[in-house]
Amino acid sequence: MPNQNGSVYGLTILSPIIDDDRATPSHDLQIRAYLAQLSTREDSPFAVAPGTHLARLVVMDDVIYVGMPSCEEHLKSKYLVFESNCDGDLDTYLAGLADSIPKHLDAIWSHCVGYPTRGAADRDAFIAYMKSCQLETTFYFAAVNDKSVPATLRALQIQTAVADFIAAHQGDDPVTLQRDFIHFAAQLKTLPPPPAGSMGPHRTIKTGGHNE
Amino acid sequence: MSKLNATDIQGFVLRGYNLPVGRYLFLRLGSAKKARDLVRRLLNQITTGQRWDGGKPQSTLNIGFTFRGLQRLELPLASLVTFPVEFQQGMRQRAELLGDTGVNAPGNWDSIWREENVDVWLGINGQTVEALDVCQASVQSVLDETGGASLLGSQNAAAEIINGKPTTSEHFGFTDGFGNPEYLGVERSSQPGQGKLSDDGKTWIPLATGELLLGYADEAGELPVAPVPHLLAANGTFMVYRKLHQNLATFRAWLDHQSKLYGGGKEKLAAKLIGRWRDGTPIELSPEKPDPTITQDPNQSTNFTYGADAAGTRCPIGAHIRRVHPRDAFGFNGRLIDRRRITRRGLPYGHFASEDQPVADTDDRGVIFMALNASLSRQFEFVQQQWVQYGNDSHLGNDKDVLMGSHGGHGRFVIQGDATPTNPPFVCSRLPDFVELRGGDYFFLPSITALGMIALGLVDPR
Repeated sequence: MPNQNGSVYGLTILSPIIDDDRATPSHDLQIRAYLAQLSTREDSPFAVAPGTHLARLVVMDDVIYVGMPSCEEHLKSKYLVFESNCDGDLDTYLAGLADSIPKHLDAIWSHCVGYPTRGAADRDAFIAYMKSCQLETTFYFAAVNDKSVPATLRALQIQTAVADFIAAHQGDDPVTLQRDFIHFAAQLKTLPPPPAGSMGPHRTIKTGGHNE
Repeated sequence: MSKLNATDIQGFVLRGYNLPVGRYLFLRLGSAKKARDLVRRLLNQITTGQRWDGGKPQSTLNIGFTFRGLQRLELPLASLVTFPVEFQQGMRQRAELLGDTGVNAPGNWDSIWREENVDVWLGINGQTVEALDVCQASVQSVLDETGGASLLGSQNAAAEIINGKPTTSEHFGFTDGFGNPEYLGVERSSQPGQGKLSDDGKTWIPLATGELLLGYADEAGELPVAPVPHLLAANGTFMVYRKLHQNLATFRAWLDHQSKLYGGGKEKLAAKLIGRWRDGTPIELSPEKPDPTITQDPNQSTNFTYGADAAGTRCPIGAHIRRVHPRDAFGFNGRLIDRRRITRRGLPYGHFASEDQPVADTDDRGVIFMALNASLSRQFEFVQQQWVQYGNDSHLGNDKDVLMGSHGGHGRFVIQGDATPTNPPFVCSRLPDFVELRGGDYFFLPSITALGMIALGLVDPR
């Protein structure tokens, strides 16, 4: 089945970018400039809005002719490609984006053809627009197990906390260990889950991870 | 494929010399004309990969250039711009990407790497310090006569000598230097566990030549990214030089303290960090004790895989040798790692202190790490960034390599165990920095032909 794999949804949206000779800089460059300054950490819009495992935004100008034996082809428009691995039901996810990060969505998608006049503030129009630009996703990033974003963050938090607990209590006598563990487990339950995007390594450079 | 032309390849690239002492000279080149004259005069002294049928020489000499060095030699711009960008930038500018931050940041490097611009690395290896002196004197006279370069500094290095014989120990007390890969066409006694796994997941075969040398097909069947013209690149390679200071006092105190908490004992804890007992026995093959019959048998000492130890109960998933050479640990019969292999050269520097001798972190000791690869970014930099300074590929989250990682007091290392009392699970936390980077750079080691072209001003990219 396309799009859905277990509880995780693979979303692909292709939005044509406005082609306007009078716009300076052009609409595609304005999107690029906006995307380039977005954070990839916990203040990323897709960390602020609920439900995103992994999202990617790409401005696709054209397909590139790579020489023989390929044939030369061109796109009819420039496109903004939005790919997201997200939790569950699509309407809920898109509504979550519209409610949490409307300014970001408008700043990006207002350069696209047919974006609602009132932007994400018109939640139903926004959802309808995004769905009209949707393509079927048949194959996508596999490194998300079948857990929701909050469940994944919670698991990472527990893993880190338990490892810290073990490190701090190695060699303790069983009575102390049990007492402290009961206390620790009770405390852990009350902790809020960590913010999305906060569990990765702290890097001063902005890369997607790998260096090539 | 046929045998490589060993006389056209620098000997340092093709083989570890196993000579007990080394001295690395760092030069600043003068005017292009004089610098080229210097290279021309050194040409017949450069050690090639030719076999030593008459026994080992007293000393060897090899040469490499930084990008600045090649600029000073006035290679044509059309050639210079074709060098890979990481080489053009040099290691200092790659610091953030490599995780060389905090105590390892360029601002804390030795002054020669922090303030100077090293153009040339001259590597001298020898049988004795006297032999190094003789070779250096000969180099110095060429420097003086040509005025082609000045000596910015030098670095001595030496193997630990035990009972009159050089060893492959390093300062933390581990036997090093087992795992260099084997490449197609490089004449070398073949050893299972080096090279790469074949499709059956059991047999070891040589890696493609293009993983070490420019101008040959690599593991993807492509020619590695290389400068033009082809003749400038072919039979050459790139080298990373890193001076790694070892905090021996910290290491010893940490190991003593942790081993009091660990049920397997001090030596097993040390072995779990590296993946080898201190004598070099792989714990994957002998989890309970060192076994000299394994270390002395080339058919065993590097001949193992991790497929049957996915949980890491024998060799921890984060053990140093498992991180930097995961073999089959990522599945697919090891194919995911075949383009991430490096060839290590290098020697320790500083005074060797036995276990009963007092040591301090400030003592000048460590290892000169030199690694050769066709692509600095795809091979060395990838291993450093993803496998040493990060743990995701091994499913270890943000954990870094226990010995090499820059932990800043926050590191963690997990020893997976089982229900046996002598092999308990154990978590090491608040790891200090055992190793600190003191500087280094990226060098291009040309072929003998390319050196001649550089010396005679014949590099022609047209």
